[in-house]
Amino acid sequence: MTDTGPTAIKTTVPRRILDVRGLSKHFPVTVGILRREVAKIRAVDDVTFHVHAGETLGLVGESGCGKTTTGRCLLRALDPTAGEIIFDPGDVEPVDVAALKGKALKVLRQDMQMVFQDPFSSLNPRWTLLDLVGEPLVAYGVSRGKALETRVAELLRSVGLRPEYMRRYPHAFSGGERQRIGIARALALNPKLVVADEPVSALDVSVRAQTLNLLADLQEELSLTYIFISHDLSVVQHICDRVVVMYSGRVVEVADTDDLFSAPLHPYTEALLSAVPKPNPDAAKNRIVLKGEIADPANAPSGCAFHPRCTYAKDICRQQAPPLTTMESGREVRCHLAAELTLAGVN
Amino acid sequence: MSDKTAAVPTDSVTPGPERLALQKRVDLSVASPSYLMWLKFRRHRLAVASAVVVIMLYVIAAFAEFIAPHDPEKQNALNAYQSPTQIHFFDNSGQFHLRPFVFGTTSVRNPDTFELEFADDTTVRHPIRLLVRGDPYKMWGVFQSDIHLFGVADPDAKFFLLGSDKQGRDLFSRIVYGTRISMSIGLVGVLLSFVIGIIIGGISGYFGGVVDIVLQRVIEFVRSMPTIPLWLGLAAALPSDWSIMQIYFSITIILSLIGWTGLAQVVRGRALALREEDFIMAARLSGTSQTRIILRHMVPSFMSHIIAALTLAVPEMIIAETALSFLGLGLRFPAISWGVLLQEAQNLRSVALAPWLLAPGGMVVISVLALNFFGDGLRDAADPYRN
Repeated sequence: MTDTGPTAIKTTVPRRILDVRGLSKHFPVTVGILRREVAKIRAVDDVTFHVHAGETLGLVGESGCGKTTTGRCLLRALDPTAGEIIFDPGDVEPVDVAALKGKALKVLRQDMQMVFQDPFSSLNPRWTLLDLVGEPLVAYGVSRGKALETRVAELLRSVGLRPEYMRRYPHAFSGGERQRIGIARALALNPKLVVADEPVSALDVSVRAQTLNLLADLQEELSLTYIFISHDLSVVQHICDRVVVMYSGRVVEVADTDDLFSAPLHPYTEALLSAVPKPNPDAAKNRIVLKGEIADPANAPSGCAFHPRCTYAKDICRQQAPPLTTMESGREVRCHLAAELTLAGVN
Repeated sequence: MSDKTAAVPTDSVTPGPERLALQKRVDLSVASPSYLMWLKFRRHRLAVASAVVVIMLYVIAAFAEFIAPHDPEKQNALNAYQSPTQIHFFDNSGQFHLRPFVFGTTSVRNPDTFELEFADDTTVRHPIRLLVRGDPYKMWGVFQSDIHLFGVADPDAKFFLLGSDKQGRDLFSRIVYGTRISMSIGLVGVLLSFVIGIIIGGISGYFGGVVDIVLQRVIEFVRSMPTIPLWLGLAAALPSDWSIMQIYFSITIILSLIGWTGLAQVVRGRALALREEDFIMAARLSGTSQTRIILRHMVPSFMSHIIAALTLAVPEMIIAETALSFLGLGLRFPAISWGVLLQEAQNLRSVALAPWLLAPGGMVVISVLALNFFGDGLRDAADPYRN
């Protein structure tokens, strides 16, 4: 498993485990008792990307860009307004997650799980580890009693926690350990796809690397596919195979991690990359400081949503919204000027 | 993998329980939520003391017949307006007796006013004994008995711990009996408002949207009404020929008609806060059913808050009942509650002549303070995971 996994995926045509097409999630803004709708917050607007089986796909952007909402729509924690989410677990027929209801949705969630950002609020403080990690197993009637304990012990061991701790409550654990508990819970049903919503951003830097390594080890061991939501580009560079960059609810660039970091195609990606802290103090001079606020998803600017903050903006950017286009290299970018600009990456 | 475990510090805990752990060296990592709550509650000394007082009050309420030394309805014109009987340890020769006693009394007619006046007859001692035979009673209306917790054996001895009223009835015994109605009317009323509050607050918080807005406005409207005139109006509408029980339950309903609003708001607030918790979403994504989420996740996390809110609502009910009865619109004679007893202290003459008639007011103060401190302690302990 370990030596065939990643290499085999790279050489053959990878299967798309998840194909997201035109995903949108709009929240209505209402006023008064009659709840008259006065505006829409386009938290996620026409998002299209796919995920290959076995890879780690990064979903990056500033806070408020819609990456968490996208992640929650994928799992149907939120119901998307429009779009298709085709999930192909491999062993059964692909399904459109966006259209599933009731029972079918419950069946699907065995294959798709989530790791939460906040290791404190995502674990019920009144439950022991056995209850918490065993919750999905009980809910799906997989095991109970002695068998449940055995399985939970196995899961705890796999995330580096001692099985003897299963009678303890979450308050006895540190943030990093709690996050491991959350990971164990997500893995309880042997999912194929795990959406990790900023799993390390609430952790101390020292624990971050440990947790990231654990995620990487588990991926290899259990041939998992990750969607890794993050605003921390150094983490993304470390763990992701491909990256989707979002801005104001839209995808602005999709590329392999190496390509994206060495030669970004979208000015927003360039600005994000320039904000990554560098060990070399001289390099810090090149930092692009974006002016203005992130575009308001309830009242998006005309044309390209990024134009008010873009140093390269031309008239066309103010007038026409650019489509997400595939370049000759196969990379996707949403910018009128993508072919003309030469943007600075890192390394 | 297991090697990694050793590297991870496992005894680091969140600040709240950690500080508790320092006080008491127990294994908190396996401490259940209720144990953590107990640890936190125990640190609130005033609340612990109040809890003892509250428990005592309810014990008194439960065993009123046994604890009261006299029949509360036993009238005797000769005993009218007796001042509280003094309890002595030393007799007239200055000798100490371990068992406390009261002196006998002699009555003397005042030659000027022709009123009967009482004086201690120091030659007669009536020792106070535990478990003495006295007025017969029916415990909870079932068990016939005449054994009282304490009292004096001689039925003619005057033994009025808190004095007597106009009809010569023992005020202490009447307060003990009043505890039963006054303390229970708070509980029953709160339970009723709890049912209304949890349903309406739950609907408001769970559905949100228009339902929430409308219900919140209704609650604000109800709260804006001046309570005393409303109670007066409702209480005045009760037929005067109703039995004590009917009046009692009508009064609790009237009190809870307003009381539910505060509880509804607590329930709604908790429901809204819980909806945002990640662990609820995690449970949903884990395939846990809606019923199980409500029963196993939501109810345990807000039950402690509800209990605290309920405890804080009880004293409001007690005060409301006392106020209504004092004004003569709540419970009426022959029911005995602290409010009814205070009614007898309404006129200036009796207050001037017999200030001990105000004692039921002292009981109201004690019970309300104790319940409030107890509720405060519960509220602080309700969420042991936050500091």
